[in-house]
Amino acid sequence: MKGIRRRVTIGFLSIVALLFASGIISLFELSNLSNDTEAILAASRRNMETAKEMLKFAQEHSQAALHVALFDEHSQKDVCRRAMSDLEGKLAMARSEAVDEAGLDSLAFYANQLRVLTDEFVYAPAYPIVKSTEDAVSESIIEDYAASHRGRDWYDGTYKVAYNNLINEIQNFMTHAHSSLAPRAEQLNKNAYRSVAPVFISLVVMIAIVLMFYYFIVVYCVSPIEKINRSLSDFLSYRLPFIVKVDLLDELKELVDGIEKLIGLSKQNRQ
Amino acid sequence: MRISIILRYVGTVMLCVSAFMAVSAGISYMNNVDSGFYPLLLSALLTFTLGAFPLLFVPRAQSISNKEGFAIVVGSWILASVVGMFPYLIWGGEFTLVNAWFESVSGYTATGATILNDIEYLPQGLLFYRTSTNWLGGVGVVMFALVILPSLGTSKMSLSNVELSSLAKDNYRYRTQIIVRILLVVYVGLTVITTIALKVAGMRWFDAVNHAMSACATAGFSTKNTSIAFYDNPVVELILAAAMFISSLHFGLIYATFLRKGNNIFRSEVVRTYIAIVVVATLLITISIYDANIYTDIWQALRYAYFQVVSLITSTGYATADTNMWTPFAIVVLIFVSIVCACAGSTSGGMKVDRLLIFCKILMARIRRQQHPNAIIRIRVDGVAQDADLLNNVVVFIVTYMALILLATFTNTLFGQDMLTAFTSTVACLGNVGPGFGEVGSMSNFADIPAILKIQDSILMLMGRLEIFGFIQLLFLKWWR
Repeated sequence: MKGIRRRVTIGFLSIVALLFASGIISLFELSNLSNDTEAILAASRRNMETAKEMLKFAQEHSQAALHVALFDEHSQKDVCRRAMSDLEGKLAMARSEAVDEAGLDSLAFYANQLRVLTDEFVYAPAYPIVKSTEDAVSESIIEDYAASHRGRDWYDGTYKVAYNNLINEIQNFMTHAHSSLAPRAEQLNKNAYRSVAPVFISLVVMIAIVLMFYYFIVVYCVSPIEKINRSLSDFLSYRLPFIVKVDLLDELKELVDGIEKLIGLSKQNRQ
Repeated sequence: MRISIILRYVGTVMLCVSAFMAVSAGISYMNNVDSGFYPLLLSALLTFTLGAFPLLFVPRAQSISNKEGFAIVVGSWILASVVGMFPYLIWGGEFTLVNAWFESVSGYTATGATILNDIEYLPQGLLFYRTSTNWLGGVGVVMFALVILPSLGTSKMSLSNVELSSLAKDNYRYRTQIIVRILLVVYVGLTVITTIALKVAGMRWFDAVNHAMSACATAGFSTKNTSIAFYDNPVVELILAAAMFISSLHFGLIYATFLRKGNNIFRSEVVRTYIAIVVVATLLITISIYDANIYTDIWQALRYAYFQVVSLITSTGYATADTNMWTPFAIVVLIFVSIVCACAGSTSGGMKVDRLLIFCKILMARIRRQQHPNAIIRIRVDGVAQDADLLNNVVVFIVTYMALILLATFTNTLFGQDMLTAFTSTVACLGNVGPGFGEVGSMSNFADIPAILKIQDSILMLMGRLEIFGFIQLLFLKWWR
């Protein structure tokens, strides 16, 4: 391949290659965009589920503590312990996934406070819920009455405050989780821009290249052909000398040389 | 005028620009394919195609007319600035269309003014690209084109007629081909030496290369938000000041000095005047800021004063201190050196000491002529009598320069800027200095100025780089015979 054909082929191929390159880069940025969107949605969903489960465990703990404190149900102690351990497990999981771990510090603090308070009340010997005396019925009734009152006071006065603090912190965690997604959303915005910008800029450059291509084709191909044609028809019609005054490229130069040779030959034949 | 010939030579410049974009993309790739890689790669491809296309069709020209040479130079600056926007635009961040244009023009005109609030957030590839625009701009996009252009003879002379100021050409006294070689030897050599010196002084390689490129271009782009103040290192400051100072001298004279020729730095009247201005300005500012208790130690005052004077008079614009906090007297002296700037035939911008010297001599001659009306007084620089045309050009240039400053200050105040910001931002942009005072001070940037003023400032930068009339003639191409 040589001359005009080579130039035109390279011209078109470069346009195609550039479009392809800008398309590929756009696709790459679009896939980044898609991945980031999925990551943001997944993170958001996970945070919601974690917070929901934390609330569920806190509620379980609260109910179990209520049963232990007011109704002296020994079986609820295990439920209380398990609910707290599940809550702490979820908290550890949230910590491992959190963008900003510091945001979970106060939640951990209130969870720990609730666990300590419950442990102190339920297991500490200073607050015996389980009675060892079975002798004096009247004493037992008085003590039961006092114990039930002590349990209610503890639940309403101490436990409920710590529980409410914990619930508030879980709710804060839900909103904080959303606000911690802001930098990722900003990244998402950047990726969206970067997936559009290459195409737009390539388009502008392509228009410039196509205009240049058109200009060069007109200047170096169409215009010389017209001039050759005009000069040839002048020669054929009026026997004017065949002269083409333009910068010619490869095949057109060969064509002009060929026509000049042909004219020369016809002149020789006539003589 | 043959448009296709102009497109061919401007295309060659585009190839140079695309090569630097490709190198920057390589740096991005080595830096774990950072976010600058794809924008730089695509920009390199687009610019390469734009540049290569005319080469495919247009044959070499045996000769280029003055008009065509002029159009090639101006077209190269403008188109380099346009394609220079691509990496910024594709990367996004703080780069809106106007901001990307401003940053690109500021880079290629070696001004060094920025719209970035957080420079350190940019990926390394883009930081390097940003500095490379300074480096390319410093020596002149067209000088690069001249080196790689295969054609010889008259075409080169036509191009350098516009690129080099008439004062610089007189002083070179070499053929154009040699001028190009001199420029490159001095420029590349100085950049390499400065890079090594900065590395030895404690900079990272990346920072050393970037700051050396920027200092030798007397441009001023830094890789740090707080510019050179970030390092707080007197040795780094000394090395950069030396690099800026040498780059602001006539490159032909530097070359001649190394070759121990007669026409060298030490014998040049212009260089002596330039050194005198630097020394006097430094001493005045040192005394002023020490006296005002801005610095309690006189050596510390001297350290900051000499660096700021050299930085502004060379039209670089690096900062080691917040000059807004200095005394009004110190600020006025710094504004004066920002207007005058350094020697013709260097990479610096501004009005040039050469013109100031000739202007002063014209004034003296005027006074003497009044005293001795019949005397024939010749104005000489370095013992060479200057012709009337050149003297006339100097006066016209200075008047136009000051008129432009006033006009742009007027426009700036129209859009709500305070007087100091309006005036100094114009001085900084027209002189290709970079920072001004007020809202565009040494520790701030051009981010908050209105978009329309950013466009105006970028036009001022182009005008300053093309010595005003080079740009103005673009509007009157049809009249050129």
